[in-house]
Amino acid sequence: MRCANCSRAVTRAVDSLPGVERVSVNVATGRAAVDWHPGTVPLKKILDAVTRAGFKPLPLGGETAASAQRAEHRLALKRIGLAGLGMMQTMMFVYCIYAAGSHGIDPAIAQYLKLAGLLIATPVLVYCGSPFFTGALRDIRRGALGMDVPVALALTIAYTASVINTLRGAGEIYFDSVTMFIFFLLAGRFVEMTVRQRNLSATEALARSLPSTVARIAADGTAERISPELIRPGDLLSIPKGAVIPVDCRLVEGDTVVDESLLTGESTAITKRTGESLLGGAINVGRPMRVIATTRTSESMLASLVGLLERTQAARPSITQAADRVASWFVVLTVSLALAAALFWLFAEPTRALPAALAVLVVTCPCALSLATPAAIAAATARLARLGLLVTRPDALERLALVDVMVIDKTGTLTAGAPVVEVTDIKGEYSRDALLQIAAALESVSDHPVAVAFRPHANTNVTAGSLQEFPGKGMEGRINGTGWRLGTHQFVTELANSHAGASPATVAGAADTGIFLGTPQGLAATFSLTDGLRPDAALAVEQLRGLGLQVAIASGDEQARVDAAARQLHIQDALGRLTPQQKLALVQQRQAAGSNILMVGDGINDGPVLAAASVSCAMARGSAIAQAAADLLLLNDSLTTLAEAIRTARQMRAAIRQNLAWALAYNLAAVPLAAMGWIAPWVAAIGMSMSSLLVVLNAARLARPRGARP
Amino acid sequence: MNIVFLLIPLGMVLMVAAVAALFWAVNSGQYDDLDDVDRCPLDSDEL
Repeated sequence: MRCANCSRAVTRAVDSLPGVERVSVNVATGRAAVDWHPGTVPLKKILDAVTRAGFKPLPLGGETAASAQRAEHRLALKRIGLAGLGMMQTMMFVYCIYAAGSHGIDPAIAQYLKLAGLLIATPVLVYCGSPFFTGALRDIRRGALGMDVPVALALTIAYTASVINTLRGAGEIYFDSVTMFIFFLLAGRFVEMTVRQRNLSATEALARSLPSTVARIAADGTAERISPELIRPGDLLSIPKGAVIPVDCRLVEGDTVVDESLLTGESTAITKRTGESLLGGAINVGRPMRVIATTRTSESMLASLVGLLERTQAARPSITQAADRVASWFVVLTVSLALAAALFWLFAEPTRALPAALAVLVVTCPCALSLATPAAIAAATARLARLGLLVTRPDALERLALVDVMVIDKTGTLTAGAPVVEVTDIKGEYSRDALLQIAAALESVSDHPVAVAFRPHANTNVTAGSLQEFPGKGMEGRINGTGWRLGTHQFVTELANSHAGASPATVAGAADTGIFLGTPQGLAATFSLTDGLRPDAALAVEQLRGLGLQVAIASGDEQARVDAAARQLHIQDALGRLTPQQKLALVQQRQAAGSNILMVGDGINDGPVLAAASVSCAMARGSAIAQAAADLLLLNDSLTTLAEAIRTARQMRAAIRQNLAWALAYNLAAVPLAAMGWIAPWVAAIGMSMSSLLVVLNAARLARPRGARP
Repeated sequence: MNIVFLLIPLGMVLMVAAVAALFWAVNSGQYDDLDDVDRCPLDSDEL
C-alpha cells in the first residue's frame, strides 16, 4: 500500500463484488473496512478479490499480521542495505570514468570498470528493485497507472541502455543512477512505512493495557494461567488486587472497588458488590476477587472502543479523495512528458535525450500529493489518542481546526459529576486538613457515597479504631483516645449532650444539609458536599480563550448554579434551565450567525445537540447514543485536553496546507527543469525521495507533543 | 599488470562480506525491535 492508486485498486476490486455495501481503504494506515452481507458474499471472496488486485490481506492484529510485518521490515532493511552498499561501489567505479574526463583513461580499464558496475547493479536491480517492478506490473495488469510505473520504466530504460553501451564498449552508462534510484526510493519508503506503523501502534496503546495472562479457576478449584484471548463466557477468573480486569464480567466473590478511568473517564473509584457487572479494562483497586466472564475479550467494551478507533483509521476523509483523483492523472501526464522530452532532445541533442527522459520519470512525485493529507490526519489522531481523546470521525479534526465558539454543558463536563467535600465551618483548635483527615479516617470502612467523597483526604497516619456505622445517621470511632462522630447534626450533637458539662452547639440554617463532625466536647466542623468544578476547568477555559475561542455555558441546571460556575470561570455567556430542544435551538441560531461550534456535553441528554454542532465532544462515560453522535470522545476527563486538541487540529490543518503547497510547488518546478535536461537523473531520485519524505515527516511532527524529543 | 585489476575484485569481495554480515544481522532479529529492548530487564514475565 503505497499511494492513492493502490487504495483505489483495492476499493474498486472489493466494491465490484455483489453483497458489499461499503468499503473504505486508508492509504496512510494500510487498513480496510468493509461492510458486507455474509449471506450474499463470503469473506473468502472478498479476500480473494484483494489478493487478485495484487495485495495481501491480513487480519487486523494477531500473530500472523505481526510476523508478516516483521518479515516485511526485515526484507526492507536487507534491500536498503544491499542497495546502499551497491550504490557506493558503482559510484566509485563510475566516478573513475567521469574523473578521468579530459585526461583520458585507458580504454581497457574503463571497460573493466563498466563491467564491474554491471556486476553490482544487476543483483541490486533484481533483489532490491523488485518491489517497483511487481508494483508496476500490478498497475499495468489492472489498467490503472500507479507511481511504480514511471519508476520501473526509468529503471528498465537506464539499465538496458547501460548494458547495451557496456557490451558494445561505447556510450554513457547509468549503473550509478540505477543503484541510486533504488537506494533513495527504498529508503524514502522505509521511513514512510516506519512512521506509519508507529502511528498505528500508538493508537493501539489502549488495547495494550490488558494483562498478558489471567488466572482461570477450573472446576476442581485449581488455577491455571491463560492468555486473555482464551477467555470464554462463563469462565471463572481470579483477579488479584491492582490487576486490570481482562474482560467484561460479573463479580461473584468479594466486594471490591474498581477504577474504570481508562474506559469511562470516571476518575473516582467505584464500589462493586457481588452480582454487579464489571467492565474489562477497569483496574481492581480493592480486594482480590473472583468473577465470571460474560463476554470474550474481543467483544468487551474495551474492544469496542478500540474498534471505534480503528474504524476512524480505515475511513478516508473526503479531501484526500480529491487528491487521489489528481494523482492518477499525474502519472499519465508524467509518462507523456517524459516521452515529449525524449523526442525533443532526440532532434535537438541526441545524447541528452535519455538523461532528460529519465529525470522527468523519476523526479515527479504524485505520492507527496496523495500522502499529504492522510499522513497528517493519522499523525494528529495518534497524538490525540495518546492524550486521551478519541477521534471517531476522520473529518472531525479538520472541522475542529475551524471552531471559534465552544458551547459547554455544565454538569459532568465543567463539574466533576462526583461530590467534593468543602469545609464550611470550623470550631475549636483543629486545622482544616486535620479535620478532613479525621473525617476520612472515620469513613474509611464505609461504602456510602459520602464516604467516597472523603476518601481523597485519607492519611495513613490518622486511623480510627472501634468504628461503627449507624445507618442513616453517620459513623462513630475513636482516634487517639477521643471519640468522634461524623454524620447528621442530631447524631453528632447527641454525643456532646450525653457528655456532662458540654453545651449543645447549634448551627443555624445549615442543620439540615451539612455533614457534621464532633467530639464529646461539641461540634468541631461542618462540611458540605458540592458538585465542584473540575480542578482544571478554569485553566482549560483560559487556554481555550487563549486560542481565540468564545466559551459559553448551556446547561439544564438551575440558573443560580450555572451563574456561580460561570463567575468562577469568568464566562459571560451562561444560560441555565435549558431543555435539550432549547440547547439545540441555541446552537443552530449561532451556527446561522456563521460560527463554527464545538459542543461539549456529558451526553446524557445532549445527543441531538451534539449531532447538530459543527464538532461535538462527549465525555466518554456519556450514554451510548451520545458517543455514537459525537465526533470526539474525551476519555481522560481533563478539559485541558480539548485546548490541546484544538491546537493539534490547527497544526494539522497547517501541516496539510504546507504539504499540499510543497508537493504542488515541487512538481511544478522540478518537471520543467528535468525536461530541459538541467537535472541529472540521480539528483531527480534524491529530489523525489526527499519530497515524499518531507511530507511524511512534516506530518509526523504532529504525532509528538511540542518540545518533546522522540 | 595494473593494480586496479586486483583491487576492484578485492573491493567487491569486501562488499559481499559486508552484505553477508548485514543479512545475518537482520535475519537473526537484531533490528526487529529497536525501541523496547532497553526495558527487557524490567520485564519479569520473560525471565
